[in-house]
Amino acid sequence: MVKTKNKVILSAVTLLAAVTLAGCSNGNSSSSSSGTTAQIKLKSSFKNSAATDKNATKNGTLKLAEVADSPFQGISDPVLASNAADSHVFSPGGLNNLFTVDKNYKIIDGGLANQKLDRKAKTATITIRSNGKWSNGDPVTAKDVEYAYEVLGNKESTTSQYSSDFENIEGMAAYHKGTASTISGIEMPDGEKGKKVVIHFKHMSPSMKFSGNSFIWGSAEPYEYIKNVPIAKLASSEQIRKNPIFTGPYKLDKIVTGESTSWVPNKFYYGKKAQIGHITINVVSSNNIVKAIQSKKYDSVVPSASGEVGGTSYKKLKNLKGYTKVGQPALSYSYFAFNLGHFDTKTGKNVADSNKKMANKSLRQAMMYALNVDDVAKKFGNGVAWRGNTLIPPVFTKYYDKSAKGYSLNLKKANKLLDDAGYKKRNGSKWRSDPKGKKLTIYFGGMSGNSITEATYQDYLQQWHKVGLNVKLYGGKPMEMNSFYDLLQKPSQNKIDLWTAAWSLSSEPSQSQLYGETAPFNMGHFVTKKNTELINKMNDSSAWNDKTRTKTFKQWQEYMNDQAGVVPEEFNYVWQPVNNRVKGFDFSPANNELFSDLTLTSSKLK
Amino acid sequence: MWKTVLRRIMIMIPEVIILSLLVFLLAKAMPGDPFTGSINPKSDPAQLHHLMEMNGLYDPWYQQYWNWVVHLFHGNLGNSYQYQEPVTRLIGSRAVNTIWLALLTTVLTYCFALPMGMFAAKHEGKLPDNIVRIYTYVTYSIPFFVVLVIGIWIFGYVLGWFPTTGSVSATANPGLPTAGSHLYHILLPSILGALFGTVNVVQYLRSEVIDAKRSDYVRTARSKGVPEKDIYKHHIFRNSLLPIAAFAGYSITGLLNGSIFTETVFSYPGMGLLFINSINYRDYTVITALVLIYGILNLLGTLLSDIILSIVDPRIRIE
Repeated sequence: MVKTKNKVILSAVTLLAAVTLAGCSNGNSSSSSSGTTAQIKLKSSFKNSAATDKNATKNGTLKLAEVADSPFQGISDPVLASNAADSHVFSPGGLNNLFTVDKNYKIIDGGLANQKLDRKAKTATITIRSNGKWSNGDPVTAKDVEYAYEVLGNKESTTSQYSSDFENIEGMAAYHKGTASTISGIEMPDGEKGKKVVIHFKHMSPSMKFSGNSFIWGSAEPYEYIKNVPIAKLASSEQIRKNPIFTGPYKLDKIVTGESTSWVPNKFYYGKKAQIGHITINVVSSNNIVKAIQSKKYDSVVPSASGEVGGTSYKKLKNLKGYTKVGQPALSYSYFAFNLGHFDTKTGKNVADSNKKMANKSLRQAMMYALNVDDVAKKFGNGVAWRGNTLIPPVFTKYYDKSAKGYSLNLKKANKLLDDAGYKKRNGSKWRSDPKGKKLTIYFGGMSGNSITEATYQDYLQQWHKVGLNVKLYGGKPMEMNSFYDLLQKPSQNKIDLWTAAWSLSSEPSQSQLYGETAPFNMGHFVTKKNTELINKMNDSSAWNDKTRTKTFKQWQEYMNDQAGVVPEEFNYVWQPVNNRVKGFDFSPANNELFSDLTLTSSKLK
Repeated sequence: MWKTVLRRIMIMIPEVIILSLLVFLLAKAMPGDPFTGSINPKSDPAQLHHLMEMNGLYDPWYQQYWNWVVHLFHGNLGNSYQYQEPVTRLIGSRAVNTIWLALLTTVLTYCFALPMGMFAAKHEGKLPDNIVRIYTYVTYSIPFFVVLVIGIWIFGYVLGWFPTTGSVSATANPGLPTAGSHLYHILLPSILGALFGTVNVVQYLRSEVIDAKRSDYVRTARSKGVPEKDIYKHHIFRNSLLPIAAFAGYSITGLLNGSIFTETVFSYPGMGLLFINSINYRDYTVITALVLIYGILNLLGTLLSDIILSIVDPRIRIE
């Protein structure tokens, strides 16, 4: 989460306002590139055919760059961290992930712990593997799994990751309020030192089968190691910042706060043993990363779901000798949203207002048909960004609707839609007025980024002007990120009629938090009965059947595309250059041993 | 004199109070709060509200200000929202980096500038003087960030002589290697800063020396037969240092300001970079603490300059 300044999505949003941490609890992520409409095809793995150089691997150093314009915060605990950079620089430690996943982010057996859901008893049973250990040699215990929920839900906790969804766990609400000292719904049948945890829920959700869901936390806390630190002070403690311990293939060797981390193999790791002697991760600013890779200072960037190098860098680096490009569809998309209502703070619900300027569906559709997102993506995206056709990005292979058309440039259709709906040019005016004959000025909002952002906005305005709509950039220029979200998050605002921004997603694709009736982040307040129905159906009892759930997702995508309340703008690849001396690189989500797999084929970069 | 110093310090107190109030209010007036933008599909606005409440961010401004002042007197500048650690610790760790960088830059600047200024003045109007003058004007007129970008490109990336990011190597062993690595990391930015920051010292020194050359005591010394070398060393140089000494107070306190350009280009975690980030993230506690520190340092700098001046030149007395 938080304002990471990754230039992931080139056009509309260089400031990705949200990089999901909860969802990225897997150090690796995203799926294969099949079924996308990207202009280029990238593979998510680089199986180097050169032979591993044993000496180079054992004594060498794999150099990774973390692209960030500010020093990382240094909070190694996934429960407390609030920034993507932190989860990146600590990723060789495995982020204390409990579960392994398949290519659809479905939790499967074989990780640090296995999970079993019991719909009848309304429980989730988490069983830790017997040889699961922390990097200091301590065993991973039931208390470690339970303690994550305590840190998360504690009243004094500084985490921003707690959500009311966790109150689905029996007793969590009382614990969060401070009226109970333990969470009654989390049981440790074999005691704190045991290996089994049973979580009792008020209701079960099919989303629990997937990593990144909002009910079951995906990482463990080293209870024995941190138990003496008050939860309120945990984020600033030595145990979390200076000498953290991990459960993954590598253990932290050294940390220079804000700048770099360095890693050595963790001999207590239960899985495939790490092979490279050292891994270092250095913060490199986004302005320097292209030069740094070109001058071969780094083997690659930290593999991540949010992407470290964007489309502009792609153009500059794609032909670089000695490096291979790998990529996969991103866990994010950029979108257009219309202002269609308000948030009723009393009932906690979004309400659609039929008198809003953008309430007319034809007007919204016409505005989208007037845009040339394909051309923009082609010109600025350099092949790693392309027009989005639906609100579920292709990384969700199972749910993504490949056949959805979305909105491609069609000025004729746009004009016709506007004419038919009564948005006509009256009294010789250059601009269309609304069906009642009143002057129509539409305000478009967007965040500031780089020169490409500005050019993109100007292009959009020009396209809308072509169909006779008087669309103006709100405030006359792109907005600073804080001001932008400050305005949009107000319960009701009439200043911006439509805007563009981006979402980074959790690996569990339920839509209620973004577009649900009660979702405060449904900033356009798009609410219809049908939408609520479809969103609820994604996680009702019918959705335990994978086929039905998939069908619901497709129906919802079709519906959203037709309604045009929120319209996808662009999808993109997360891609990265990998030096040809690296072997075994595969950052698809199904690969849960990303760091263990890596070896080196020479001691010097190629 | 000490009476005056004391009086000056007394006057500083209301100045600091007004400054702190202004800073506090201006910081709060910025749109957004430390948690705007911290949103993702799984985050819960209720939790963000809870955090806002926990940190007292919904209280009226005067109450927030009062709490802040009370904490301030306990030596507690609050917690950084972004970094989730005490502001004093955060600033402390960054200040060390900034001081080393600034110290080396300043020392190198004087090392380059003092001989250059003397040399130019000695050969006033001749070729060496013109070369030095052109050099200072050219270096002065090139924006510093351009110098940094070109410098890091040539010496960092193309030639690979210097590190390009951070303040220390990730793999340096503790002890001497770490210290060496620190020095290695600040070398390039310091040299660039010194080479391109000479103009003030050179020009002040040059014009002072030229003035001194024509003054009566120099003529007297010359007529007494004092060797030219000694005239420059003992008579002219010391007297010409006056304006530079006046400058020194600011330089010393300015060490902590940090260079936003240098730190950004070299991803060097110092005070300048911290300041910019804290503004972007609405990290109020850090912003107010930094501005307050800068303000106090500037006030102290003026005072220090006056004190140094009075020590160097007995004719000057602060009353």
